[in-house]
Amino acid sequence: MNLHLEIDAVSKSFGHVSALEDIHVNVERGSFVCLLGPSGCGKTTLLRIIAGFERQSSGHLRLNGKDISTVAPHRRNFGMVFQSLALFPHMNVAQNIAYGLKLRGIKGAKQRERVDELLHVISLPEIADRPVSALSGGQRQRVAIARALAVQPEVFLLDEPLSALDAKLRDNMQIELRQLQQQFGVTTVLVTHDQTEAMMLADQLVVLDRGRVQQCAPPSEVYRKPASAFVADFLGSANIVQAKANAHGSHELFGQVIQLKNKSSQSHSVELALRAEDIQLKASDVNDIEANGEIIMLRDLGPSMEAIVKFEGNQIRVRSNDPELRLLELGRQVSLQFDPNRCIEFA
Amino acid sequence: MRVGIIPQQSGGSYKFTIYLLASLGLLIATLPVIIIALMSFSAAETTSFPPQAYSLRWYIKMFELFQPNGENSDASLQIALLTSLKVAALVMLIASVVCVPLAYVLVRSGGRLKNGMELLFTLPLVFPLVILGIAFLLIAESLDLELGIWRLVIPHVALVLPFVLRNCVGAMSSIDIELEQAAISLGASPLRAGVDIVVPLMKPGIIAGLVFALIISFNEFTITYFMYTVDVTTLPIWMYSRTVSSLDPSTLAISFVIVLIDLALILLIDKLLAGRNSLL
Repeated sequence: MNLHLEIDAVSKSFGHVSALEDIHVNVERGSFVCLLGPSGCGKTTLLRIIAGFERQSSGHLRLNGKDISTVAPHRRNFGMVFQSLALFPHMNVAQNIAYGLKLRGIKGAKQRERVDELLHVISLPEIADRPVSALSGGQRQRVAIARALAVQPEVFLLDEPLSALDAKLRDNMQIELRQLQQQFGVTTVLVTHDQTEAMMLADQLVVLDRGRVQQCAPPSEVYRKPASAFVADFLGSANIVQAKANAHGSHELFGQVIQLKNKSSQSHSVELALRAEDIQLKASDVNDIEANGEIIMLRDLGPSMEAIVKFEGNQIRVRSNDPELRLLELGRQVSLQFDPNRCIEFA
Repeated sequence: MRVGIIPQQSGGSYKFTIYLLASLGLLIATLPVIIIALMSFSAAETTSFPPQAYSLRWYIKMFELFQPNGENSDASLQIALLTSLKVAALVMLIASVVCVPLAYVLVRSGGRLKNGMELLFTLPLVFPLVILGIAFLLIAESLDLELGIWRLVIPHVALVLPFVLRNCVGAMSSIDIELEQAAISLGASPLRAGVDIVVPLMKPGIIAGLVFALIISFNEFTITYFMYTVDVTTLPIWMYSRTVSSLDPSTLAISFVIVLIDLALILLIDKLLAGRNSLL
């Protein structure tokens, strides 16, 4: 535990509209934190508050225990990569990277040395003299990252920097970004709406929805133990289902009896999450009583198949690489089977 | 990107109409310049049109007028030219000092304020110049101050502001606020970010605006006619006084040279404004 950046009870409202409410996030030194959420959840606003471009309505920011809530953005020494990348179009690559160094009074040979070092780190040593307009998307990305890291920032901030890249390049850049972050050991906060990106990059996920923190935990924990139906749905498209209470004090789901761990909700129907890959389909005879699901959509995802099954008015998503699923057809009556231990209960 | 307006394949009469209207428009627009150009090369003593023979005599006369201590030199012309240039330089300086920060504030504050202010600064364009001239004269007389060259500079600034401001606002609008914030995140104070990032990126727009200002101020006649004094006279006023009684062909030579310089400046503006897209 080495607390670096502390976001303490930060709220932000624009007029009467509340964008962020009572945000608490602790960022450890050298860790990679992803702010994840759908558009309009306030994640970019939170990042801009950390950078200092927005002032929080209430609450505090602390860096190394020191209150920086009112420090001007240019005095915070936070390197930032913007969504538009914001490379200076009137400067070449080397001048872009050197800009922050110039402001810190690092000149001449020392400046050149540092720029060269960074160009090597991003494996583009040959582009120093090129204008930024001559760079490809991936190169611009790397230059923007190098420019922000050149000044050895306290905290490295990224605002959806990879969203403009195509899927293949984005994947490569994610790996590179993670490697760079570990190499520099810099505390990093990244904003994204892409859950795969967040899962792959982050040490710590902060899931935001409608201006509130829904869950703040490592990615594996967020995936396995989502704190709410929203989190379960947002990460990994889980089915949110209602388990009905039966006469024996337990619950039933898809005709299967399950025992819930959470004892407080014995008598009511309970909201559960069940991931698409945790459900199996069983084709059955017409007379089978349990077979009251109907396949209404089938699609081939390549490595696996996905089926959408209509069950008691709900649409249940099922994903599997079981070859048998390929034998099913639209309109087929099926029963839904699952391992009760895979049901996710919310606190 | 250029798009062909005229259909290449078909539409004969359509094409004919466009060419006819275009040549008519061009003829009307360039006729005065063509006539002045032809007459300035006349060999005759009088300004009859069309000239019977051609020569460079009026251009030689023009050079003699500008010579410092020659036989035919004209001190009043030289002073008028100098005044015109001084006025234009001051007008450009003041307009840029006013418009660059103003454009920044207008664009960054956005919305209603910007539209309102732009409209306000456009007002001098819609007032009849004669009325503006009378108004400025009344103000200058009532001030009872020795204004000197500023009697011309101030009205000229009012005239050129809309052009300079519009160009600066246009240039400023295309500068993403994230560029400034990137500079600030790297440690630049907001002022430093303005100097390092905003001003260089605005430069084509600023220069285009200032070239407009130069052309407008240098050629301005109506308001200047109300404001000039014996000591403060500009080149257009000098040319007018020289030709009002009898047309001196050497003023036509001067006119044609001015037209050529203006043309070069307009081409420069065109290049600057076209180049703006490639800057981003």
